[in-house]
Amino acid sequence: MNGESLAGIKVQVETPEYETGNLLSIISEIQYALQQLLEHKKVHSIDLRAMPWSSGEEQKLASYLGKGEVFIELNTLGKSTFIETQFSGVWLVNHYNQEDEQIAKLIEITYLPEIVFSQKEDIKNSLERLQTALSDDKQP
Amino acid sequence: MTKQTLYEMLQQQGISRRGFLKYCTALTSLMALPPAMIPTVAKALESAKRPSVIWLSFQECTGCTESLTRSHSPTIEGLIFDHISLDYHHTLQAASGEAAEHAREQAMKDNYGKYLVVVDGSIPLADPGYSTIAGISNLDMLNETVAGAAAVIAVGTCAAYGGLPHADPNPTGAVSASSLIKDKPVINVPGCPPIPTVISGVLAHYLTFGSIPELDDLGRPKVFYGQSIHDRCYRRPFYDKGLFAETFDDEGAKKGWCLYRLGCKGPMTYNACATLKWNQQTSWPVESGHGCLGCSEPNFWDAGSFYQALSIPDGDYAKAAGYAVAAGVVLGAAAGYANQKIKAESAAEHTEVSVDDFSLNKKQ
Repeated sequence: MNGESLAGIKVQVETPEYETGNLLSIISEIQYALQQLLEHKKVHSIDLRAMPWSSGEEQKLASYLGKGEVFIELNTLGKSTFIETQFSGVWLVNHYNQEDEQIAKLIEITYLPEIVFSQKEDIKNSLERLQTALSDDKQP
Repeated sequence: MTKQTLYEMLQQQGISRRGFLKYCTALTSLMALPPAMIPTVAKALESAKRPSVIWLSFQECTGCTESLTRSHSPTIEGLIFDHISLDYHHTLQAASGEAAEHAREQAMKDNYGKYLVVVDGSIPLADPGYSTIAGISNLDMLNETVAGAAAVIAVGTCAAYGGLPHADPNPTGAVSASSLIKDKPVINVPGCPPIPTVISGVLAHYLTFGSIPELDDLGRPKVFYGQSIHDRCYRRPFYDKGLFAETFDDEGAKKGWCLYRLGCKGPMTYNACATLKWNQQTSWPVESGHGCLGCSEPNFWDAGSFYQALSIPDGDYAKAAGYAVAAGVVLGAAAGYANQKIKAESAAEHTEVSVDDFSLNKKQ
């Protein structure tokens, strides 16, 4: 292995001749959740790591959802990516740790994933830092 | 138990609220809870304090610790230093002999009634000399340490059910931790070894909520052991169609058909391998082409050949596993009793939905 991570090994995934049937279930769940978002502002999340997939099925889901107009990358405790799919309001979310290993994979049905917003606690902390800097006469 | 909460510790490390929310998302997924629980996990972690953990290794092969150190989400370093205060683990710690035992005694004294004991390995009762640590028998150390514990986690099939040392003829008189501990809650996390993320998921549940998760009748957390391998297996569609590999190199094996006739114990085995998988979610035994051995079930070593199909009657197997396995008049038609019951209940509770109800089907 020479210290290589598993993710570094290129694997060719063959298209399976069989499926678990989860793809259809997930899409119909997304359809229902999107309706709920529109009519009742109810957000919904699906943990993709909590269900079985046959080889290549997850890629099939990702390619069906496609890529839309927005891509966001966060850097906190490792990388996180947020892809708005071709279906507006449907986000594909991947969280990685500092070793770049995937730690969570979700589909979020929302206007914008909550974690992307600036958080009240962080804003408060920023304000304090700025106030301290100005009072200490450490102006830029 | 340290005074600082986990959230305060993360804040001190300069981790933002956003980072904390990401941490909660990963932890919720790790605990196999639905994403809707993320705010609840965040709220619980804001006041959670790091529990002291004492890890006791008895008659074991260190495979369970090896498994835990390959738990990537979160990392073992994070698990030890951020989530729990691992005060004693004689395989991992640098100290040995009296100094190590002093660390265990100090942790017990400082956190009496509140610390968590993790046990891996079985306990020999035939002769205490089979396994000792610093001259102390496994039984004595277990009794002494568990006395002040809040709860016990039996990691691995050896600690949970006796495992390999318990296999016939059981020369050391090996028994499980739960058969000896009667006055404390015991969580069994079986597997040979258990899935690393299941070990850290159970620890994470305790530190987050300060309680033990809901358990099945064999003392296993239902969230990880609530469904059979067979029910969650991606090869299940082949089983339903009656398509089975007959040998490991025939056309069926190459096409990824069901391994039931090659001895797969998936129908009577309850574990999360089919979803959580192994080696950073790379694969799991069935995906690699080998049937499930049933390693998270009691007495799996004495359950007959790993390559004997479940539907072929095997008295010892049925006796050991405690299941009425042999329903199979027609080969390939039998599943475990529990599986049949679940299927019957599911059928009764659900109305049939046609695939035509979904617009996606028309597009595919």
